[in-house]
Amino acid sequence: MAMGTQVAPSSTQESMTPPVGVMIRTEDLWKTYDMGEAIAVHALSGVTFELERGEYVAIMGPSGSGKSTLMNLIGCLDTPTSGKYWLNGRLVSELSDDELAYIRNKDIGFVFQTFNLLSRASALHNVELPLVYSGVPAKERLEKAQEALRKVDLIERMYHKPNELSGGQRQRVAIARALVNSPSIILADEPTGNLDSATGEEIMSLFERLYEGGNTIVLVTHEHDIAAHAHRIIHVRDGKIERDETVK
Amino acid sequence: MAVLSQPQVHLHELSPRVGRRAGVWVASREAFWIALETLRTHKLRSFLTLLGVVIATTTLIVVMSVINGMNLYIADHFANLGTNVFILFQFNWTTSWEAYLKALRRNKAIRIEDFEFLHDNLKGYKNIGASAGLGGEAEVKYKGHLMPEVNLAAETPNMIDIGQAKVESGRYINDTDYRHESMVCFIGHDLADEFFPSLDPIDKEINVSGIPFRVIGVAARIGTTFGESQDKFVQIPLTTFQKVFMARPNLAVSVQAWDAQQMMLLEDAVRAMMRARRHIPYQEDDNFGINASDTIMAMWHQLTASIFAVTVGIVAVFMVVGGIVIMNIMLASVTERTHEIGIRKSLGARRRDILMQFIIEASLIALAGGAIGVLLSLVISKGVNVFFTSSVPLSAVLVGLFLSTAVGLFFGIYPASKAANLEPIEALRTEA
Repeated sequence: MAMGTQVAPSSTQESMTPPVGVMIRTEDLWKTYDMGEAIAVHALSGVTFELERGEYVAIMGPSGSGKSTLMNLIGCLDTPTSGKYWLNGRLVSELSDDELAYIRNKDIGFVFQTFNLLSRASALHNVELPLVYSGVPAKERLEKAQEALRKVDLIERMYHKPNELSGGQRQRVAIARALVNSPSIILADEPTGNLDSATGEEIMSLFERLYEGGNTIVLVTHEHDIAAHAHRIIHVRDGKIERDETVK
Repeated sequence: MAVLSQPQVHLHELSPRVGRRAGVWVASREAFWIALETLRTHKLRSFLTLLGVVIATTTLIVVMSVINGMNLYIADHFANLGTNVFILFQFNWTTSWEAYLKALRRNKAIRIEDFEFLHDNLKGYKNIGASAGLGGEAEVKYKGHLMPEVNLAAETPNMIDIGQAKVESGRYINDTDYRHESMVCFIGHDLADEFFPSLDPIDKEINVSGIPFRVIGVAARIGTTFGESQDKFVQIPLTTFQKVFMARPNLAVSVQAWDAQQMMLLEDAVRAMMRARRHIPYQEDDNFGINASDTIMAMWHQLTASIFAVTVGIVAVFMVVGGIVIMNIMLASVTERTHEIGIRKSLGARRRDILMQFIIEASLIALAGGAIGVLLSLVISKGVNVFFTSSVPLSAVLVGLFLSTAVGLFFGIYPASKAANLEPIEALRTEA
């Protein structure tokens, strides 16, 4: 692949730059919250793992285990207190806010438990948003957004607002939005958490299709049934990786 | 499914320049639509928010319009002596009441000899003419029709080139009429309408204060000032006037120069000649008045400038109050939409995208206020024009719109930067 052209961001990190084909590499990631008066809560305490292109990984753990914090770090929504994080060979743990915004826009597609759709915008406009922020002109934007909605079978409901859609449909809009900019990874945080089990299964089979289509998927969940869809499960407990198993 | 396969290899560099610049444009347009949508969904709130700006803009434009209207009025009706014309008269028109009373005692009337002297001795002028009026107002009759309060004026033939009147039909007083003291007259449009609604007025005989005159021409309509028609006049040759009405009238001598610069030289020349002719010692003031458009306008502008200064102060206060209200509502809006900001940031909106969104929204609210202010002031101005005078200048509209937008922009900066600086994860966690 064309990955050979990639160069490390800075010379001192060169030796640690992950090899080609590794999409995510974290090294001793810490996230500490200061609760005042010298009380520090470690949400993550030294997480190191690698993730390759095309993997379907579930991050599992009970609530408070730090799995959401880990996802926020992977998704560049948050920055680690210490440690290093490479995404596509780029050391993103040291980028500025705007550069992180750029990565969120181009490389990451989020799917949230609560969907996080703009309530006043139509499904189509919600899907268009990432393209708006990458400066895609209107005509091309419409085509891409419609294509993404077609992939989740919602093309005929594209002018509906989120409150006119069912939970499953909303989540599919969110998935279309995550897909629209052709991201490197799709990050799903409890994507079925607000859905009944039948709809949840629908969504999970959609993820399966996306995985088969070559997408890299990271799923955060506390449910075994959901995690079972993934091909690798990283168990997180107390801010540390407890177990890393390959399922299929 | 084949459609799902996307080899997601992104080897893009950070911030390729062209793409980013286009991005700002695309994101601004998005911000523009968001702002319109917000205005639409919160109509009452938006309206209350922009009340301050509306009042400020309306006040500004109405005052500017009234001043402008009065300026036009002054220019049209008092100061329009024609281009590069000044008038030598017994008094200065622009002096104060006291100065006028003093001048009334010592100033001497301008006589026909003064006019002839200037006509023969002043050098380089384009035209020099004289006119006189009857103190009271004349009564004009035609076949039993009577028109009272008609302005009777006596003119030299070249006044048609100097003054306001234009010939619509027939002709103006000519040199032959002047030399032969002919009993002819040039009438205003109102007289033609009154006496000759369906006839050709030319060569009809009308009766001016009991004396018959033959109509030789009709003036083009001038219009009204303060509700009073300016077309009720009869003009006759100055020589005829001397023969019939008044042997030694008090003249107004109009001197027309070739250009503005020469006009100043001519004014000085006339002043010197008149002072010499009247033997005025150098330490004493003129006992005649030289009046020009620009001296009248200068004095008028001095007056309006102070009115305007007060208005600027009031408008500034309104604008600041309006701006603070906008800032307040924008701060509330940022809090209300924290979750939305979080979503946008998670999708890749940068600081400047969010900043732009809120600044555009604030500016648009303020601009809408300005636009409402403009409409309101147009209506008010129209109303004022019925009983007074008012004319909305384009500059006032532009200044109003620009100022209100600028206020929105300025007072939008703080809320917008607050929104832009939100941490994405914190904003996303905030419940919608």
